[in-house]
Amino acid sequence: MTLALVSIAAFMSIGMFFLAVQDLPRVPDPLSRIIETPPTEIYAATGERLMVIGGREAIPLSKVSTHFIQAVLASEDHRFWEHHGVDKLRTLKALWVTLFEPGRIEGASTITQQLSKNLFFSFRRSYMRKFRELLVAFQIESRYGKPEILEAYINQIPMGVGAHGIEQASRTFFGKPALELTLAESALLAGLPKSPTRYNPYLHYDRAKERQRVVLSRMVAVGYITRVQADSASRDEFNLKPPFSGTRTRSYFLDMVVRSLEERYGPEVVYHGGLKVTTTLDPQLQTWAVKSLREGLARLEKMLGVSGQDDHGRSGEVIRPQGALVAIETNSGAVKVMVGGRNYIETEYNRAVQNNRLPGSGFKPFLYYTAFEKLGMNPATVFFDRPVTIPVVGAEDWTPRNFGLKHEGPIILKRALVRSVNSVAAQLVERTGPEQVIRTARRCGIKSTLEPVYSLALGTSGVSPLEMASAFATFANGGIRHEPFWIWRVEDALGRVLEEHIVGGERSLDASIVYQVVDLMRGVVDEGTGAVIRRLGFDLPAAGKTGTTDGYYDAWFTGFTPTLSTSLWVGYDQGEGLHDIQGLGITGGRGAAPVWADFMVKATQGEPPREFAIPADIRFETADPITGRAATESTPNPMRVALRKGQSLRRDSMEHEIPYDPETEASQLEP
Amino acid sequence: MHWSEPRNFKEWARRAIALRPLVLVLLIFAVLISELRFDWLEQALGSYLVTTNTERPESGAIWEIGHRTLTARQTLEQLVTDRQSSQREARGATTFTQIASNLPPGQGVMLSSEHFRELYLTLPQTMAHMIVSPFELLRLFSNGGWVRTYLENEDYGFKIYLLNSENRVLRELRIPSDLLYQIERLEIALEGSLEDLPTFENRIYPADRFFRAMESLPEEDIRSVISQPERLLGVPGRIVRVGISDEAASGYIELGFEIDDGTRRRVILLRAREWAVWSLRSFLEEKGQGLHQSSRSQGNEP
Repeated sequence: MTLALVSIAAFMSIGMFFLAVQDLPRVPDPLSRIIETPPTEIYAATGERLMVIGGREAIPLSKVSTHFIQAVLASEDHRFWEHHGVDKLRTLKALWVTLFEPGRIEGASTITQQLSKNLFFSFRRSYMRKFRELLVAFQIESRYGKPEILEAYINQIPMGVGAHGIEQASRTFFGKPALELTLAESALLAGLPKSPTRYNPYLHYDRAKERQRVVLSRMVAVGYITRVQADSASRDEFNLKPPFSGTRTRSYFLDMVVRSLEERYGPEVVYHGGLKVTTTLDPQLQTWAVKSLREGLARLEKMLGVSGQDDHGRSGEVIRPQGALVAIETNSGAVKVMVGGRNYIETEYNRAVQNNRLPGSGFKPFLYYTAFEKLGMNPATVFFDRPVTIPVVGAEDWTPRNFGLKHEGPIILKRALVRSVNSVAAQLVERTGPEQVIRTARRCGIKSTLEPVYSLALGTSGVSPLEMASAFATFANGGIRHEPFWIWRVEDALGRVLEEHIVGGERSLDASIVYQVVDLMRGVVDEGTGAVIRRLGFDLPAAGKTGTTDGYYDAWFTGFTPTLSTSLWVGYDQGEGLHDIQGLGITGGRGAAPVWADFMVKATQGEPPREFAIPADIRFETADPITGRAATESTPNPMRVALRKGQSLRRDSMEHEIPYDPETEASQLEP
Repeated sequence: MHWSEPRNFKEWARRAIALRPLVLVLLIFAVLISELRFDWLEQALGSYLVTTNTERPESGAIWEIGHRTLTARQTLEQLVTDRQSSQREARGATTFTQIASNLPPGQGVMLSSEHFRELYLTLPQTMAHMIVSPFELLRLFSNGGWVRTYLENEDYGFKIYLLNSENRVLRELRIPSDLLYQIERLEIALEGSLEDLPTFENRIYPADRFFRAMESLPEEDIRSVISQPERLLGVPGRIVRVGISDEAASGYIELGFEIDDGTRRRVILLRAREWAVWSLRSFLEEKGQGLHQSSRSQGNEP
């Protein structure tokens, strides 16, 4: 009977073997042949390597630190040199633990089995998968020598943060080749394959350290090192390379670059083709931008009274305000900086590109340009700041309100923009029509859907910070528009050029009118709603516009120097306005402009003051900000205005002034 | 032999301790221990699998990566080959039309500024002026900023970017498709009359006078003035006036043939050998008439 049982068992085993063999994968020869794929490397404009996608480069064992080889053998498979693919004693022990010690599961996979699994099989647990994995391990052991197997293993082993293989991991975590790894570093890296996410030293330093100690203990137990060496190594602190230089994007900017590459070349080429991509990013500016935004958001949280705890004093899920910053080189359209949120690890949603938030008054420069161009107005044209109601066909009348609900009476357009007076903007858009304003915005490069309604002038159609920075760059550049771009050049692995960006601008706005608008926007920075920028020490020639939306859901500042256009947005992701502890709303001038100033001070440090180019037909005159006439010595707070050829200040006498009457329709005094 | 169930424990024990089962158990143990010691089962299975390796499918994660890598390499190779082929053909091109015929729509090629200058010089002067003034090119060429030229084949013709070393556009030019078509056909017919082309304004002759003067030339000179008369014959309408350009370039002078087809006037430009035109002019001027006859009424007279 025993013989019969043995025979049955033997027949079943043979049957199972042939069943498993049926679709067993082919093992490549040599083992490392298909491990080697060229990496796609992404570089900054300055030449610094920012990221490596895919790419597996096999290195020989002789180029790997002995410490690492010993550490990985001690922690993963200390009988590696003895077995033939399966460690039977360890397997029996693991089987015992799994069956008779509830709650404990012990692994017993040898390095060869792990190699087999990593090369060919999914991570789905099944007995048949395990059996096949075992069979392939047998084949590998029969065909290849132990050093070859170990070499293949350490070259493909997943180490977390997108790094595969010891060389890539060593460069990712420590910025050095695998040959130079110390005992402490080797033990840390050897501990990662067990669970690359759980022991990721960037995210869970203490866990990684604990795992390192376990590996060192295993090395002592196996006899590779002494206890003294292990203790010494476990006391060493790691000098981890900053996570920015990694094998995953971890950056809003790089996310966008990779997405663009995928669209142009397809994912296979990007992840397996080995491209060399030179981007427009300036890493130093990017670092400053991240820092400025983080610090700005921290200050904002203080104003808002946001703490690390919720209303009930519990730590954890506290909704914090977010921010986005984009900086563009004005004379090319190159995106130098992009920050899409406070922390990419927390949320990958790129607010700099994907967010369509209402720009509020930040949209007014397009309106003023339209009024100057289509209606022949100029910065000294006088309007009445008064309560206005604009009838809308088929809808309720539109009654915009000024910030602070006050009205100043007669006011020139320059002062109206500098003080961001909504009632004047409403009167302007009533005359130009929203369609014309949309046309101007489109000429500047705004691509988002814009509703042709009067309130558009007060920024009631959503746009992204990238669009705003790019559109304002058109103003900074004297009306020449450059399409924003983020990739300078793409080459293949052999350095053959696939594409290169050509910087070609297109005149989309009239240079003289642009200068007039820029001059108004300089007033915003020098003495208007964005004056905080000057108080914070940014003293280069600059222009810009604040933006705040109803309910204080969004706070913007978009501004530019002749060389750099930067847009900054802060706000909550969803349904909450920005109100300080006293309940006061936080405007663009208070919430966004200080962050802009902080960044721009750093970004332009060492730059000589550079003026915006003044077109030949522009002349300056000093106007009375109330009457629009030439200012005299007795005029309080005169304003310098830029006038085009054929434009002049009002010359009619005060006696003929139409008295301000909120009821009258004649609210504009033409110069 | 019949098997019967043991009736009691003694019977069980007797049968279990019998020689045969013991030998069997020992055999099994021997097999197991030898396997533990020598791994022969793993080796046997492994060796068998090595022999069947080439017949098995290329499946599994690493093969998929390998296939994707291969596809990626092929895609890239195709991209690079296409680009290099366009680039190679463009580098060897001697006229704009050669580039246009080899460049697929939407694609572009990079040329050196010198090569662009050579292509520009192959154009009839009037056409060249319509694209960009030679003085403008001279200025760009002499200040050293213009290093490369990018030609892009678009729906409406060629878009040309004169670039500096940082790939910034110094000047953007266009050659509309109809102009390219005309260049391609070597039949440069411009709408309008000779007066519209400043290069001819000083030397416009009635057609009959021009051809009478041509008759005075030796056969070789005639062919050097109009090398392909069939091109003029193929154009519908009547030649009413002929203009001789003020400017000569690379040994050629441009001639303008004003053609009236009853509904409109057009000018066809042809290049003539400079020395032959000089001979022709001496005959034209010897006649003592015809110089500076630029009015259309005169041109209409037979």
